Amino acid sequence: MISKEELEHLAQISRINLTDHELQKFPTQLEKTIEYIDILEQLASDDSVTLDLQELKFEELRKDEIKVSDEKQLCKNITEDGFLRGPKMK
Amino acid sequence: MTRLDELLAYEVVEGLTEGQFTAEDYVTTILKRIEKVEPKVHSFITLDTDGALSSAKIIDKKLKEKEAIGQLAGVIVGIKDNISTQGIRTTCASKILENYVPTYDATVIKSLKESGAILLGKLNLDEFGMGSTTEYSRYQPTRNPWNLDCVPGGSSGGSGAAVAAGECTIALGSDTGGSIRCPSSFCSVIGLKPTYGRVSRYGLISYANSLEQIGPICRSVRDLVIMLNIISGKDTFDNTSMPSNPISIPKRLNKLNVGIIKELITGSDQEVTKSVYFASEKFKEIGCPCEEVSIKNLHYALPSYYTLASAEASSNLARYDNLRYGFDYSIGEYKWDTYFSNVRENFGEEVKRRILIGSYVLSSGYYGKYYLKARRLRSLLRLELLELFKKYDLLIGPTMPILPFKFGEKIDDPIKMYLVDINTVIANLAGIPAISLPIGFSNGLPIGLQLMAAPFGEQKLIDASYELEKIINIPRRPNSI
Amino acid sequence: MSMVMIGLEIHAQITALNSKLFCSCRGNYRDLRPNSNICEICCGLPGSLPIINQKAIEYSTMMSIALGCKVPDKIMFYRKNYFYPDLPKNFQITQYNVYGISSIGIEGKYELDEVKQIRISRIQLEEDPGRIAYSEGGMNVRNTALIDYNRAGVALIEIVTEPDFTGPKEVRHFLNKLSLTLEHLDVCDTLLEGSVRCDVNVSMNGGNKVEIKNINSFKEVEKAINYEITRQSNVYGRNLKIEHETRHWDDKKKITFKARSKEEEHDYRYFPEPDIPVIVLGSNFVANLKQRMPELPNERFERFRLKYQLSDHTSNILINDKKLADFFESTLKLHFSPVEIANILVTEFKSLIEDDTEGRDYLKNLKVKPEHIAELVKLIEGNKISRTTAKDILVKIFESGELPTEVVNSSNSFKITDEKTIMDAVHSVFDNEKSAVEDAKKNREAINFLLGKVMKFTNGRADAKIAMRLINSKLNE
Repeated sequence: MISKEELEHLAQISRINLTDHELQKFPTQLEKTIEYIDILEQLASDDSVTLDLQELKFEELRKDEIKVSDEKQLCKNITEDGFLRGPKMK
Repeated sequence: MTRLDELLAYEVVEGLTEGQFTAEDYVTTILKRIEKVEPKVHSFITLDTDGALSSAKIIDKKLKEKEAIGQLAGVIVGIKDNISTQGIRTTCASKILENYVPTYDATVIKSLKESGAILLGKLNLDEFGMGSTTEYSRYQPTRNPWNLDCVPGGSSGGSGAAVAAGECTIALGSDTGGSIRCPSSFCSVIGLKPTYGRVSRYGLISYANSLEQIGPICRSVRDLVIMLNIISGKDTFDNTSMPSNPISIPKRLNKLNVGIIKELITGSDQEVTKSVYFASEKFKEIGCPCEEVSIKNLHYALPSYYTLASAEASSNLARYDNLRYGFDYSIGEYKWDTYFSNVRENFGEEVKRRILIGSYVLSSGYYGKYYLKARRLRSLLRLELLELFKKYDLLIGPTMPILPFKFGEKIDDPIKMYLVDINTVIANLAGIPAISLPIGFSNGLPIGLQLMAAPFGEQKLIDASYELEKIINIPRRPNSI
Repeated sequence: MSMVMIGLEIHAQITALNSKLFCSCRGNYRDLRPNSNICEICCGLPGSLPIINQKAIEYSTMMSIALGCKVPDKIMFYRKNYFYPDLPKNFQITQYNVYGISSIGIEGKYELDEVKQIRISRIQLEEDPGRIAYSEGGMNVRNTALIDYNRAGVALIEIVTEPDFTGPKEVRHFLNKLSLTLEHLDVCDTLLEGSVRCDVNVSMNGGNKVEIKNINSFKEVEKAINYEITRQSNVYGRNLKIEHETRHWDDKKKITFKARSKEEEHDYRYFPEPDIPVIVLGSNFVANLKQRMPELPNERFERFRLKYQLSDHTSNILINDKKLADFFESTLKLHFSPVEIANILVTEFKSLIEDDTEGRDYLKNLKVKPEHIAELVKLIEGNKISRTTAKDILVKIFESGELPTEVVNSSNSFKITDEKTIMDAVHSVFDNEKSAVEDAKKNREAINFLLGKVMKFTNGRADAKIAMRLINSKLNE
């Protein structure tokens, strides 16, 4: 079983509050999922296999040019001075 | 004459060009159809009726003035609601993005607009694409037009159902582990997950970036080809996109060698298995020999998929802290980290489960055990498949191991739900193209055949699908609605 | 004496870039209205993807070469996952070397001087977060933070050293040389506010490592280290143990203080960035870049010594001020007289600047240009003006921006070579300085005093050689 502490830790690093219902249900459900993916351990380790499916050549990369898009309001909660209002830090 | 809402996309373009009807007639007919069936099916999250009508008028004006029109001019296309549309709310079927109106169009949307397509609205899905039934949508679940008690499949369930029910002529879906093919199979329409990199992902709201692609859901192979060609291509806004050759409708079929994946047959319902054998007979009729093959690493595919998808999801979904965009939730007196946790409580259960699993497999100490192994399996599987594609042009099997099932049947057991993706995740892990083609019915419920090909082997998928479509007669319009 | 081990983690913005690391917004975010230098990509809108800047890879490779690092054929990016309001995606795209090599530079060795070598663990390319301008609200808003994402996505080079420094002086020496390198490669204008930042780790007597974060300029680094060494010595002095911990530098109070323990508990959950494929630099990449890259400070030093025959001392002064060195070489193009020009620049010219400058980009606004210095040196070498006059002219043209010949013509400052005029001056000095004349007759050393008087009498314009000859002959009369 995933312990309550472990679940709370995962929820904390993921910055998610869980409902009481979820706190009850999740330990078993997550445990089952983890058991299911545990089978990966049996996979023979072969370090010679490259893990990367895609490569990109340096020559293909974006050139260093400025492109300024037209003034759009990209974010909400913008003050008159242009700052974004967020929750307090302390 | 066929009713306007039953026309295929290329028929719509022909009809408009020849002056048989106006775009406004066609759009109005579809809107009436939606009015009639939407209360039963629930395909849409957002409808842009006014936008569609005014686009139709523009097309009509162009036609009248004999201006050039695009390849999909006037055709109504529905968009899965995880693809960014400028000025039209894009929710991912999540509370978290309830009020999010994008400031930009996804690259595929730009291409569609250039082709003259009319965007009618945004289609339902499982929240952020995580699910196989649309039951995880924060809105109402979409119902299967062939049997309203059954799920339409997911996550692009709205797309599959809308196309099947005639609420739009074509739809775009996205496929991370089967999200285009599953609803295509369950709703008896054609859906393609392109080769990884063929279609730009710019503007597709990421669930698991390394696995997913945008793709078309249609009622005919010809429509699918038109749509695929419009959305394919290297995009400077997506470093993982690649150039590709356009696909064409085959003049005649060359012999293709077909491998039937043994493991996918044995793991399926009997009715489904029967249909696959029926398909293999049809392949033989069109001159393509079939034999059974085995994929050694298949065993690990689903655990590997869930590891990678959850890992990427946990990181992709971190940005939803409601500071820059999102929904109404006052910052109040909260300190920032409390605020983040409170806001993010509004994800649905399945999304939360995957975020937590993702955080778990990436945690220090577990990375090597899960994430790295999953990556390794991915490479091994791809190598194994590439080897098989030296001998076989196509690998086939059922798209879904089971028939469409009833609502609520699997929702309480995540593992049970995950297991229905077992056939489809292969193509996402390997980055190869895969199509789901309607192949028959059992008790009035659709069955789909999945065809896979080597990377950028879409032409072969189309060649075979086009021939099969001709000789397998499948009813197109569900009677239940 | 206790043993001190210090390691550095330096972040330098690539201020030379036009655009950000993953989008086409301006790299120069300074002095812009908040949140006006952002786009879908750098403020992390759903569905946007990073598109890596080619030039950023070149600049970070140059720094890797300069610090003696190996540059692999293929590089990768990773995600570092943590939540913070200045981080639009709540992860940072960076590089990471734990599961194989991914970063642009590794295993570097940098010669600090003839004896001391600093090992560079790695150099990596990453994105800067935004800025929290007010953490507790501005004038009219309480209980909120004000955030500006203009900086988010600006390219940073992170340089991590092994704990090879044994004291603050070595650190200062290294940071000076590093600044010069950043400047010479035109990677980073280190004088721009916030363009370079430094984290430091300090351990003593083999004890636990203490990390100090938030040091926002190189100048503060030495102070922070000194403070930390004193603090740790005191702890040891009381026979207590040093905790492994993270502290912050408070640059107002000039102290380090302990971070709240929660902030240290990071599990960054690194994994490869799926939106950026592996980037293949190719086997000739480094060799090609070496050919094209600007001269490094030590290479320039050698060239100044060998090609221009400058002394170590003069070369050093020039190299330590890249703008002055550039000014020097521009002047040489107009008039090739390296020793004379260098001497003027490192003495009178530099002292005038130091009186006159607030630091930044001072040469740009200077009225004196290489043309002025070239002309001045020509006048000296053509024996048209004396060195003393040259000094005065320099002062004048610093003010007015006139060309030296204009000053000379208008103020009648040409050197006096006419023997009769100089003789008149000598006579006059001999009349007024009788005792000095007597001294000089006995002690030839005192003759310089008389020369000085003659020069003063002629406002420094007399040809010193002629004046000396005339003084000598008059003394011998």
